Amino acid sequence: MNMEERKLAELLHRIAPEPPRPVTVEQVAYRLVTDRQLRPRRSHLGRAPRPRRPGLSRAWAAPAAAAAAVVVIAGASVGIAALASSHHSTPPSGGAPASSTLSTGTVSSSPAQTSASPQSEPGTAIPGAPWDAQLIDHQMFFPDSLVSADGSLYGYGNGTLDRIDPATGAIMNTAQYSPAILNPPVVIGNTVWVVSSYNGGNVVLHGYDASTLAQTSSLLVPAIGGVSTGGQGVLASGPDGNLYVAAGDIVSVVNPASGQVTYRFQVTAGKATSVAVSPDGSRLYVGVGSSTSFKLLVYDVHSHIVVGSSTLTSGAAGGNLVATSGGVWGTTGSGHSEWVWFAPGGNLNRAVQVGRGAGGGFAAYPSYSGGVVWVGGSGDLVCASPATGQVLATADIAADNGAAQYLASPVVAGGQAYSYYQTAASQLTGLARVTPPASCTGAQGS
Amino acid sequence: MDTLTGVEHLTEPDGFRNFVQARSSALLRSGWLLTGDWTSAEDLVQTALAAAWPRWPDLRRQDAPEVYVRKIMVNTFLRWRQRRWNGEIATGRLPEPTAYGDVFAQVDARQSLLAALDRLPARQRAVVVLRYFADQTESQTAAAMGCSVGAVKSHAAKALARLRDAPGLSELMTGGVAS
Repeated sequence: MNMEERKLAELLHRIAPEPPRPVTVEQVAYRLVTDRQLRPRRSHLGRAPRPRRPGLSRAWAAPAAAAAAVVVIAGASVGIAALASSHHSTPPSGGAPASSTLSTGTVSSSPAQTSASPQSEPGTAIPGAPWDAQLIDHQMFFPDSLVSADGSLYGYGNGTLDRIDPATGAIMNTAQYSPAILNPPVVIGNTVWVVSSYNGGNVVLHGYDASTLAQTSSLLVPAIGGVSTGGQGVLASGPDGNLYVAAGDIVSVVNPASGQVTYRFQVTAGKATSVAVSPDGSRLYVGVGSSTSFKLLVYDVHSHIVVGSSTLTSGAAGGNLVATSGGVWGTTGSGHSEWVWFAPGGNLNRAVQVGRGAGGGFAAYPSYSGGVVWVGGSGDLVCASPATGQVLATADIAADNGAAQYLASPVVAGGQAYSYYQTAASQLTGLARVTPPASCTGAQGS
Repeated sequence: MDTLTGVEHLTEPDGFRNFVQARSSALLRSGWLLTGDWTSAEDLVQTALAAAWPRWPDLRRQDAPEVYVRKIMVNTFLRWRQRRWNGEIATGRLPEPTAYGDVFAQVDARQSLLAALDRLPARQRAVVVLRYFADQTESQTAAAMGCSVGAVKSHAAKALARLRDAPGLSELMTGGVAS
């Protein structure tokens, strides 16, 4: 270390305060049994394994409602009894957490869900959650990765890309994958595309068979000027069947069948951080921004010229663009909070906030599924018209026993709406089936 | 309504409790430097220790439990940063300082430090914490972050350059605040 490095080291040791309280073994044990991603292999436990659900590649695949367990730490002077389904309190130091308030519910038959799959399993009612939200599985996913296509759900688990059966929440297929940047999977035809690498001068896309998740393609998309490190939504598809990739100072149009870049849109205002294509294929929306500013460029896809440019007045960053017939939707944020805006015609000067958004580091983003735009978060669930941005229905997300709850923006698969659910302390996560009101059925058109 | 369906017995590994008692404070301070608040720091440390629990016998044999725990902490932190808002600014409550000669100066120093660390990209921040707070070598840092030693050097150099220009921090690095 040189002198400067030694001074920095000394500064860090001098200024980093002592923690207000230590971490205890009991807290760690509680975390171990309540977090599905962390649970040990059966060999570390003293009980015969339960049967695994068909097609589920992960251990500990017991249904959510039956996931309760009592944990005893052998050899500890004070053992803990921890209910794995008790998600409403932080683990105590040496004591038992509060009992669960989960109750078993049934599948709703709301008018908005008349096409419910008869195979749908009953879920577990989530206290305080709107739209009759029922937890159907305890898997952990990246909240903003859930998409639907052809009756399946796709999302990112812990180091995996998963295909999920929406009727049961079971993971049907899985592939090893760690997101290189925030971007949900993009499904075109029978291929699920993800960003495998997003760094420096190249973007690598991987394609997986939508049914088996066997990898079928790998595309290298050269970037110009280096890609942005702050991208959110850097890969999108258009109705022309092409992929649109934010690749530094350009947006590349890629034919997924040939793997060839067919056109490069020049982005002169900065590095592209987010892209979306209008449903009719006529407009390309490109977000350009840093952590303190966000500019939205609108390109005419056919003439390739910029036809609109506006800047977010809040002075914050943006991303997660979703294009609909009436304009473009996206995310902005401040601190650990973020919320969704709608810009009619792609004009940020006319942008309005939609929904109350998410706090505590949770993601708020728009999803366009089932004919309407959905916005989730920790404040409320909203469905809105893709043509006008008008809110069609909204419902508060209440705290459960004082603990904040989060429902991600829903997606529709097989006639049902699904949302990723998580409590503020991450002690309960999973896929929830929600039953929105009839006004969210997409009758307003796209 | 709870539905208890079975009892699972989880055996605490030998030496685990001693390690937690001895090292949780240092790990929490690293977590605080990474995340900027105690709640997230505790979350990070608990997650890392829980991940280490099933592998504890192997880790002890390799004499590397702390290296592994820090590796999990850093990778969990990097994953969180991917999921959370990029423009986040730490505004968390700072604990009441005690036993400092100049209380206000100490709080100001912490705020300056956190603000400077917040300006670093996640990987540069992780390198700063591992190299200069956890006193790990460049190769240990590279192993924890899954990158090359050269990348660690590059991250460290860029981080130092940014910290050098951070408001209020250069004075601190020359010894501006008494502890």
